[in-house]
Amino acid sequence: MKKHVMGIDFGSTTAKAVVLDMQGNIVAWSVAHMGAVSDAAVHQAVDDVLAQAGLEQKDIGRCVSTGYGRRMLDIADKNFTEITCHARGAVAMVPEARLVIDIGGQDSKTISVDANGLVAQFAMNDRCAAGTGKFLEVLARAMEIELDEMGDIAMGAKQELKISSMCATFAETEVISLRAEGNSKEDVLGAVHQAIATRTLGLVNRVGKKGPVVMTGGVARNKAAVHYIEKALGMPVILPKTPQIAGALGAALIGLDDYKAELAESGESLDEDHDVDAQMAFDKSCVSGCKGDPVAAAQTAPAATSKLKSMLGNLQKHF
Amino acid sequence: MNAPIQAPTPPSAANKLKSTRMAGKLVNDYWEMVWRAKEEGKLVCWYEGSSINPFLEAADIVWVHGEAYSAMLAARHQEGPAQAAAEERGYLRELCSYARTHLGCAVNNQRHRNGSDSAFADVPADEDISAKLPPPDMIISAYAYCSTGQQWDEMTSRMFGKKVPIFNVSIPWIWASGKDAGYLRGQEWEETSKYVAKQLEEMVKFIEEQTGKPYPWDRLRELMRNVKRASELRLEAMDMCTAKPAPATLFDWSVSIAPINQLPCTTDIVDYFTNVRDEVAERVRTGEAAVPKEKYRLFFDGIMNWNKLGWLAEKFARYDAAVVAGRYTHMAFWQEPGLINPEDPVMGMGQNYLICPNNHSSPILIDLIMGLCEKYEVDGIVFHATRTCRAFTNPMFMIAEEATSRLGIQTTMFEGDVADESFYKDELLNTRVEAMLEAIDQKRMAVV
Repeated sequence: MKKHVMGIDFGSTTAKAVVLDMQGNIVAWSVAHMGAVSDAAVHQAVDDVLAQAGLEQKDIGRCVSTGYGRRMLDIADKNFTEITCHARGAVAMVPEARLVIDIGGQDSKTISVDANGLVAQFAMNDRCAAGTGKFLEVLARAMEIELDEMGDIAMGAKQELKISSMCATFAETEVISLRAEGNSKEDVLGAVHQAIATRTLGLVNRVGKKGPVVMTGGVARNKAAVHYIEKALGMPVILPKTPQIAGALGAALIGLDDYKAELAESGESLDEDHDVDAQMAFDKSCVSGCKGDPVAAAQTAPAATSKLKSMLGNLQKHF
Repeated sequence: MNAPIQAPTPPSAANKLKSTRMAGKLVNDYWEMVWRAKEEGKLVCWYEGSSINPFLEAADIVWVHGEAYSAMLAARHQEGPAQAAAEERGYLRELCSYARTHLGCAVNNQRHRNGSDSAFADVPADEDISAKLPPPDMIISAYAYCSTGQQWDEMTSRMFGKKVPIFNVSIPWIWASGKDAGYLRGQEWEETSKYVAKQLEEMVKFIEEQTGKPYPWDRLRELMRNVKRASELRLEAMDMCTAKPAPATLFDWSVSIAPINQLPCTTDIVDYFTNVRDEVAERVRTGEAAVPKEKYRLFFDGIMNWNKLGWLAEKFARYDAAVVAGRYTHMAFWQEPGLINPEDPVMGMGQNYLICPNNHSSPILIDLIMGLCEKYEVDGIVFHATRTCRAFTNPMFMIAEEATSRLGIQTTMFEGDVADESFYKDELLNTRVEAMLEAIDQKRMAVV
């Protein structure tokens, strides 16, 4: 039996990879940024994560991909959408989350999650890249600053300005005009981030505003974006330590479910994880209010085991 | 030399109705008749929106429905020259693409006929049918809800030098105001029905003025008997799609819009829907599915993306998703045949124009859609947010909210368009639909 699974988020601007052990612990993760849906980036992320884990591809029991390029990966056994994977990954990182805001390179999405950690409703931006990482990239170029500096500079805004267009091209024109009028970089960038927050609030309202809110995706690392989104929502936003790997983590967790279901179906021992109920308890630890207490699970062991086997069977059929 | 080896075409996943193939021939015959109109010395009326064609057909006037021509061009992937001509004339891409395509036809028509533009003065190529429409002798504007519709008619009039007589039928929005208000009932319904019927009688006088002949009411009665029967058969066949697996899908009903909405109201349309009904009944009897591995049942809210009709049918079938009903197909096109009295048809015709699916206030609209979702036991709704038809798109968020809160079903929305495929991006639809189906799967597993 192989002892690890991998999740890959082949995104529009970055590639992320995560390796988990059979208990669902993160063994290694990697992020590579090499341009639009880049083969080189995804290979770099995969090579890096395997090297960190001291593994080779043949040691991976299941590999699941997500993201824009999810169907392009030969090494992936299965693929799932960003919605499903980000929800799963975000809730694993922040079990109490009920709303996930994910802003990536080309798209932004909001996902409401029910008490069981399942996708209740989701909304995505239309084909325009307004309010996404790409939008920030274009405007950073217009302001002649590095993307990584943007958030820090915007936090220095003192005056409220307004960017009325969310089209990256038109917004670029507005930014240049505002600068030509003598406004500071800080104030102009504050307005840029305010515009993103307004757009995000619109997406949030489409799935229903509720908390706790967790934010994932590369833009979650931009402190000004988070600040203005919190202000627009009127509630705090929880940031995982590594928000950009939520999709890859979710993919890996789905792969872990799938792999275990296959092993259970074939009657193969789970080696380090004989007690399926314990794994169920681990999975439940993603659910708010559930402590993932194996003792509690053991009290109803016969029924729980039976139900779990049924669920694993269904999972197997599904995947 | 050996022929190059080509990859095999994958077998079609969508098991379309065979009986609807006849629609293609009927549509071609109809447009051939339209293109010959002037040679045969017939009067031509251009109109959009409401299906007033039986009034015109009875009076031996050739009718040209703007949306139908644009949709036909898009479905044949021949919309390009018309849309380019309209844009060149100054009509923006944000204008309704039905209107833009049709106005482009008017531009090309004028250019070819007048030779006013040397670049376009040549006889159009056979494959460019954008210039083949006969110019109008009259325009009748009878559009429910859509403000662009009336402006479209006005723009058409200008295109032809403001010399074409126009008659306007005002079809008021149904507010559902008053305590007794509801679908097909209440004081407002009674009053608006009479208001529209009175205008239709005036419209008949306008038609008499154009033809110089008394209006042939008996002919209208005969045509409306066929329309009523065709509509009953269509609805009977649609109702049978509550069966699991569904014997037909929204894409079969989309192909069948022309026969009910725009083709000559002869017994051909009765025969067409008799064949469709019989095939659907046979499929129910034998358990033959429109989507062989039906796993999901969906509702489609939006006008059809005519450039992508076959493409979408295939795409959803490959997801094992049967799109069993939709607002556009199931809530329009003579959908209340019970209102039509063939012996005295005007009132019922006006009432069917009033219940255009966009013309209801939200409570009625949403109730009707929720009712269809329950009737067909759908797992989710796919919204086609038509980029250039905000009229259809406006209530979608409210419908989505109600679907979630009232029925607990998943929804998703993708952007596209009715006749301009540049607004459609395949990956956007893939991700949104796949995410919705994954969420449905998760939910199903959670209740095991």
